Amino acid sequence: MPDQSHRRLTRRSFLKAACAGTALAAAAGQTKVLSGLVAEAGAAAAPWQSKFSACDMCFNRCGLIARVENGVVTKLDPNPKFLKSRGMLCAKGNAGIAQLYDPNRLKYPLKRVGARGEGKWQRIGWDEALDLAASKMKEIGEKHTRCGMWFTAGSDLQSQFVTRFAEVYGSFNVTSHESLCLLSNNRAFLDTFGEVPFADVLNSKYILMAGANRFEALVTPDSIDLMTAMREKGAKLVVLDPRYTKTAALADEWYPIRPGTDMAFMLALSHVIITENLYDAAWVAEKTSGLEELAAHVARYNPEWAEAECGVPAADIRRIARELAAAAPEAMVYPGRRSSDYENSTQIRRSFAIVNALLANWDRPGGLLGAREVGLKKPGYDAPWYDDNPPERADAGRAPMMFEEDGSYVLMREAVLSGEPYPVKGWFVFKTNPMQTAPDQGKTRRMIDTLDFMVVVDITMSDTAYLADLILPAPSYLERCDPATALQGSSACACVVQRDPVVPALFESRPVFDILKGLAGRLDLAEFFDFDIETYRAQQLAGLTGAKEALEQDGVYYNPSKVYGIYEGRIYKTLSQRIELFNKRYDQMGLDPLPVYSPPKKGPDKALRLVVGRSAIHTQSSTQDNALLNELEPTNALWLNPADAAGLNVADGEAVEVASSAGKGRLPARVTPDVPPGLVYMATGFGSISPTLTHIHGNGCSIASLLADGYDAISGNAALHETFVTVTRSAS
Amino acid sequence: MRKNLVAMLTLALMVLAVVGLALAEGNGNARKGKYLYRKSCRGCHAAGGAASDLSPNSHTQAEWKKLFAGWESIKCANEWKALSDEERNDIFTYLHDFAADSPSPAKCS
Ligand code: HEC
Repeated sequence: MPDQSHRRLTRRSFLKAACAGTALAAAAGQTKVLSGLVAEAGAAAAPWQSKFSACDMCFNRCGLIARVENGVVTKLDPNPKFLKSRGMLCAKGNAGIAQLYDPNRLKYPLKRVGARGEGKWQRIGWDEALDLAASKMKEIGEKHTRCGMWFTAGSDLQSQFVTRFAEVYGSFNVTSHESLCLLSNNRAFLDTFGEVPFADVLNSKYILMAGANRFEALVTPDSIDLMTAMREKGAKLVVLDPRYTKTAALADEWYPIRPGTDMAFMLALSHVIITENLYDAAWVAEKTSGLEELAAHVARYNPEWAEAECGVPAADIRRIARELAAAAPEAMVYPGRRSSDYENSTQIRRSFAIVNALLANWDRPGGLLGAREVGLKKPGYDAPWYDDNPPERADAGRAPMMFEEDGSYVLMREAVLSGEPYPVKGWFVFKTNPMQTAPDQGKTRRMIDTLDFMVVVDITMSDTAYLADLILPAPSYLERCDPATALQGSSACACVVQRDPVVPALFESRPVFDILKGLAGRLDLAEFFDFDIETYRAQQLAGLTGAKEALEQDGVYYNPSKVYGIYEGRIYKTLSQRIELFNKRYDQMGLDPLPVYSPPKKGPDKALRLVVGRSAIHTQSSTQDNALLNELEPTNALWLNPADAAGLNVADGEAVEVASSAGKGRLPARVTPDVPPGLVYMATGFGSISPTLTHIHGNGCSIASLLADGYDAISGNAALHETFVTVTRSAS
Repeated sequence: MRKNLVAMLTLALMVLAVVGLALAEGNGNARKGKYLYRKSCRGCHAAGGAASDLSPNSHTQAEWKKLFAGWESIKCANEWKALSDEERNDIFTYLHDFAADSPSPAKCS
């Protein structure tokens, strides 16, 4: 995009935000308006400055340079030295300014005074807010043990302090947002290779992508590298997706596979590769275990069988298997990211991992890579022990391979609702929004009603914050000092970034670190937070020669660690200490040691399967009230095949009522052949209940209001593609 | 009942925090084990400490089993004697369940 248009967009947005801020602030009766605060903050600064930061508009953390004029951030540019993003900052990244100067931001602590969900708040001071939260945590801890408090944190550089706080406070009940995202994929690759790989897309010659939409759901550097590999190096991309996504549109081949049948396709690939001896026998013999069992297992899964299940012609499956094998080891089944889709998604993704193992691509150029050394240290602490605590997490024992440090949102909600195995009555939420992102919003709401105390720390009043007893305003990433974080960008780099405030924090916002420190002081836990972020960072960076200087000069530090061949002389973290085609641990636990295909569940008559996803413009619900991004993508719609639309008598653009076992919603139909008959699609977010989110309040429909609450049987990851809906033309 | 257990290593040398989950083979309380290990062992077994920088990740599950089977002959056995059988078993469970060859998860980042 030419510089000119960047500037125009940014300038206009800022003015618009500033103006709207004035109006809203005046309406709210605040003493200080946004523009006033900005001018005050910038008064003493030099007229023009460039400052490094790392984006927080999604989880990629792309390096950026903020241009600050008279104390006001006027433009965000990509950091050209940031290899992970290939020197790019996407639409969301550019719109970071509109998050900083969002007039709808939370400005001071708010205490609920009306009934839950009534939206009546009282402005209170920080001391009162922290006293209240601390006294409630104390009360709950005494009455229900410390595990009676549940802590949930989103993907944020300061989330590690929430985990630390939970541990020293004494609760095992910590959930991350990951159980609504990618845990089943992680589980599957861990249980095959012993770790979660990075895909070396750039150097790959043949990429099979299923259950991922890399040209819209951006991941750095993969999204960019995929294009480079295709356009400049002639790599081939084959996409399996029921929906005609942007990735499908740009692929060499696209197959509208039937939803929920990817495993059939993958098992057939293994069948062909094994029966036709297309694998590197020496490599497979040396590095893997379970080939014999796999060969016997996939004998019945031939391409003709797979065609009947997944709808992709057998001849194409056979050809793709041969082409992949011919390109191996510079070939891959792309591991993907969000795999919160089916109730057997760990096993589905295991079938992806197994094909990769047969392609002998592990730890090699163009294949799947292990984590490189970055060398960042994790400062330790000695958490106290509370003898009266129950033995386990409240969500334990329901999914046999749940990740202990991520938990399962869906299962935890079940535990809280039922009060079993023990009461959980308090909830601390930081910068994540399960009311919008988790299936079955009604259930989340009912669960919240059982709580004695709920506190939310966030930048805006999310739908989750809207139901809290106490809301604490957090600054955006451009206003914070954050710990250093290690990032790996596939083969591009292993690096460290950190954040210093680009401008001072606006309003009365406080970073969650300060909030936790304040709570720790009130709960006799001060010794565990007796540091500041700068000293913490110094500990993290200790021993990394030149890191501090590089961060100051370039905004990023690179560790020139080994990229390929890092497994030479190293064991794989599996029971057999090899790449496990056949999973021994699963076998011991009574789980299928090899992925066994079962056809996807059928919905009731006339019901349509709902699948969800996102575009390149938004990061779920967190960016939708952003004025700039909302301008680009103002609402969501229900994608509906013309045949289904005709049967329902629905025209393109008309409003439809959508109903599922979990709830209902209303949004416009987008009648398009880009989804097959029997399937509907909608983007995440929108349909917000929080009135302060002025762009999305009552606009569109939230996936949370429709999705039913299934979960992956192995990892406890939410299953977001197992919901069937009925669609009717809206009366009004 | 199968137990899911947690550990946060003091040093994360890789990009991703190396954390593990596994079956409670020692059937002890790994959470308690983590606490006891930090309290009773890490005073010496840390970077810059009197003994080797030791964490669950330092050995495989099989190696931990062997070490604990013959703990009386480990150099610091005197320190271990101060602990009860149950406490030693908790520490074993922690070290074993998060050993180098236990499955370790990665984060969404
Ligand atoms: C007073 C200091 C001290 C304390 C406390 C201590 N150790 Fe040790 N430990 C040592 C020394 C010294 C050695 C021998 C040198 C070495 O291996 O670093 C050792 C060796 C070991 C070894 C063998 C080294 C290896 O990697 O095979 C293990 C295992 C071990 N200690 C475990 C423990 C455990 C578990 C505890 C807590 C119950 C503990 N130690 C407490 C000082 C200590």
